[in-house]
Amino acid sequence: MKEIDARGLRCPQPIIELGKEVSFMHAGDQVMLHSDDPATEPDLVAWSRMTGNVFDKKSKDSFVITKLSER
Amino acid sequence: MVRVTGNFQSESPLHPKAFDVLHAAFDSGWADAAKLSQSSAKARQLKNNALESIASALSVGVDSIVPVLPTSLGYFLGIQGLFLDSSTLIHGATDRKDVFAIAAKNPHQVLISALDGKLIPADAAAKESVLALQIANAETGVIQECDAIIASTQSERIFLDATSSGIRVPVANQFSTALFDSKSWYGPAEIGILVLKKPSQWSNPLPHLNAAHPNFDVSLPLLLASAVALENFATEVETANTQARKYNHELRSAFSQVKDADIAGPLDSSLAHMLSVSFLNCNGEELLRAIQNDGYSVDSGSACTADDLQPSHVLAAMGVLTHGNIRITIHPDTTKAEIDGLCASVIKSVSGLRQ
Repeated sequence: MKEIDARGLRCPQPIIELGKEVSFMHAGDQVMLHSDDPATEPDLVAWSRMTGNVFDKKSKDSFVITKLSER
Repeated sequence: MVRVTGNFQSESPLHPKAFDVLHAAFDSGWADAAKLSQSSAKARQLKNNALESIASALSVGVDSIVPVLPTSLGYFLGIQGLFLDSSTLIHGATDRKDVFAIAAKNPHQVLISALDGKLIPADAAAKESVLALQIANAETGVIQECDAIIASTQSERIFLDATSSGIRVPVANQFSTALFDSKSWYGPAEIGILVLKKPSQWSNPLPHLNAAHPNFDVSLPLLLASAVALENFATEVETANTQARKYNHELRSAFSQVKDADIAGPLDSSLAHMLSVSFLNCNGEELLRAIQNDGYSVDSGSACTADDLQPSHVLAAMGVLTHGNIRITIHPDTTKAEIDGLCASVIKSVSGLRQ
């Protein structure tokens, strides 16, 4: 699984980096996002709703994102 | 530097009538209203007139009015004053930080928010629990269904936060204490009006020697200006709401055409003059500055615009995007040209920042 290390980056950069990576992925692909920005987790909730993808929190600063939508 | 021509921040200049009265109020309302001198008698009369005017506009008894300064003190007085030893505080996830601070010192339960900003009612609680409810949210303008939440909890000790809604939204019938903010009717900032509707349920939580009606010595000129602003805004509020709703609808329609825009709460259950919208992949601070460069001032709930770099707890609780956020407040003097200009500036700025 590909990993994005966005630790030390502030919002909205982690979500922008995630969006770039997800645009190259296919439905069912996964990516691990590492981010210590406090806005990342709430923004992943909104981002998932808006883009039709899902995420799973693995630890305080790590999230696995699964691409479901081809948008 | 570009001159700001459109103010869409939550703050605004005083109501013109309040501004007019302020100078005269400082001239005639300087004395201590509690003393026996002629000047004090005049100050006392002015104070009583102001309190009666405020009580009348808020449709409550004059004896139940307690002006407080600053407004944030009113949260502590209004909520903590309802506590019994066995009380639990029930409050919303989208409440102001002042309420969270009181909750942190007491047993508490948080009502979570749905995506539309409405709190999800809790199961019935003990009658001595204290329910703190926001009539409308200060960031999104979302109006709560207070009567339904009050009915679900069955709590008999109810604090209503009317600081954002002011007189724009009717206050629920059943409450023990309520807090208003003079700013909501274009009066001076930081003058709070605490209403003690059920004095038998309330006791002063601050150290005190006299258990009688509390008096927090608010500046009389500011209180007079607040009363005049309220009296005048009460005659304008219907027109202001109608106009704001029309402008708000125009902004929402335009922003909903922008790709990946996340508007917080529907207009039909929000304050007519408030709008919070977030744009995916935009930096809130840069967006704020870009709009400012076009001559428009707005607020933001994005983490990058906050002192503590924390995202808005309100947007997070709703599940709305917290970055790229702007908050727009439509004032009674906002013009159609300003709305069109702001709208064009936001759309252009979002497009520019995403490239």
